[in-house]
Amino acid sequence: MTPNVIEGGAPTRGRASLTSFLKNVAPALPLLAIIGFFFLFPISRLIYVSFMSNENTFTLDNFRTTMQEPYRSGFINSIKIGVLSAAIAALPGAVAAYFIETRGPVKLRRTISVMSGVLANTGGVPLAFMFYAALGIQGQLTKVLKFFGWDIYAGQFSLGTFLGLLIVYLYFQLPLMVIVFSPAIIALRREWSEAARNLGATQLNYWIKIGIPLLFPSFIASFLLLFASGFSAYATANALTVGNIALTPMQIGALLDGNVSAAQLNLGKALGVVMIVISAFAVIPYLAIQRRSARWQKR
Amino acid sequence: MKRKLDLPLTITLSVLALFVFIPLLSAFEFSIRTPIKGGYGWDHYLWAIREDEFFYYIIRSIWLAAITVLITLIVLVPTMTWLQLSKSTIRPFIDGLSLLPLVIPVVAFAVGAQISFPEFVKDTVLELPFLYFVLALPYAYRTLDIGLNSIPLKTLTEAARSAGANWWRTIITVIIPVIKTAVVGTVAITFALSIGEYTLTVLLHWDTFPTWITFVADESILGAVALSMMSLVIPFLVLTVLTLVAPERSTQGRK
Repeated sequence: MTPNVIEGGAPTRGRASLTSFLKNVAPALPLLAIIGFFFLFPISRLIYVSFMSNENTFTLDNFRTTMQEPYRSGFINSIKIGVLSAAIAALPGAVAAYFIETRGPVKLRRTISVMSGVLANTGGVPLAFMFYAALGIQGQLTKVLKFFGWDIYAGQFSLGTFLGLLIVYLYFQLPLMVIVFSPAIIALRREWSEAARNLGATQLNYWIKIGIPLLFPSFIASFLLLFASGFSAYATANALTVGNIALTPMQIGALLDGNVSAAQLNLGKALGVVMIVISAFAVIPYLAIQRRSARWQKR
Repeated sequence: MKRKLDLPLTITLSVLALFVFIPLLSAFEFSIRTPIKGGYGWDHYLWAIREDEFFYYIIRSIWLAAITVLITLIVLVPTMTWLQLSKSTIRPFIDGLSLLPLVIPVVAFAVGAQISFPEFVKDTVLELPFLYFVLALPYAYRTLDIGLNSIPLKTLTEAARSAGANWWRTIITVIIPVIKTAVVGTVAITFALSIGEYTLTVLLHWDTFPTWITFVADESILGAVALSMMSLVIPFLVLTVLTLVAPERSTQGRK
């Protein structure tokens, strides 16, 4: 299930001559070298080391520990925040992408795509500040809501809780949805809705029979990517929580920095590998659906 | 130009604007407060800019992002253009490989990077642009791929060749000008990701502008809020300029 399974090289039918190798592969070598050294190598090493005990012998103990507390709740919380933040952001993001792409003028679409790009990359301390300023105890929105009789701090709420974190995550999840879902909307051809109307379909008919079935796979794919993004977010959780919620990325960070010591030196690596596996369950279907829909999206 | 107000679009944009701007403007209001004097002012921005490290880190972040962009331009763009033109059998392999970083959570990647590289790589901050390049690769690759697909690269090349241009002339006078639009989008994405990258940078114990903001927060919260505002506005401006400057190709797609 490790994602870096490499389909063994180019086909070696006969002894391919050197020149044909040069023509076929050589121009790609610099790119392959960078990917190999800066990506495949560290990931392979991570996977290898995650099976090592403190004495450098093979062991599964690291993985056994990842399934015990507090790491177990770390995974449960991380998966929960990934699923919930993706589920809440997906539909509004898709609808927004639809109206912007189908009705917006070019300049607007460009501005929104730049803004989404920047906002989907916000995180960490800047994002935390924005939400403290809006929804913190002294926040502007908090005051407005209080004025209207809703004191959000009457109960247990704070930005450092699970619910608080979830709200903050939406701030980068929604723009991400707009970014990943827009290509599917752009690929919807006006001819299709016109053809449907000419054949007597109502707007509703068109959506039920054509629009939604066409967009649904991309919608699910986008949801999966959002899940992966929420599941593995580190910077924002790091800025907002103080260890009160167990989240796997934070636990890995703490182990890596030596803030927390574990009896097993390579526990952090095993947690990383489990994260990769969980993320692969979402991202690989995402890539597969993307590839499939790319076929009809081509023109 | 439509005269009629487009109701669904207006509602969508208003809701999005509230969602985006309430936190943003709240933080901005915070950043221009001057609690001692009362009222508002640019004090925290000036304080932040006067810090010795300010220009050091902002320049460092910009040149690291610039090197990442340079790697993209020197390595990724030519390779992908070549893949598009040649019928190389390794194309599906490179396709898959380029999307793979999407599968790996950045935290896990950081752990792998920390335990793998030899000292001479770990000791130089130049490892960061290469790692940023990997993080941006799936996005850069896809943007470039869509861009290159929308251009009749093959036809143009054949036309230039049959008109008597040699390879170099074809590349310089035909291919490069045509792929410019596709390249601009790729550069924008790579730049945005590199300049804001936090997780990998901090876990590998490097300091850049985003990690410096976290550090400043211990000293002056309002100063850090001011810096946060700048960290959002600067990439936005750079990217807007970059995408608006890029010429819109009249032959491209719908509209």
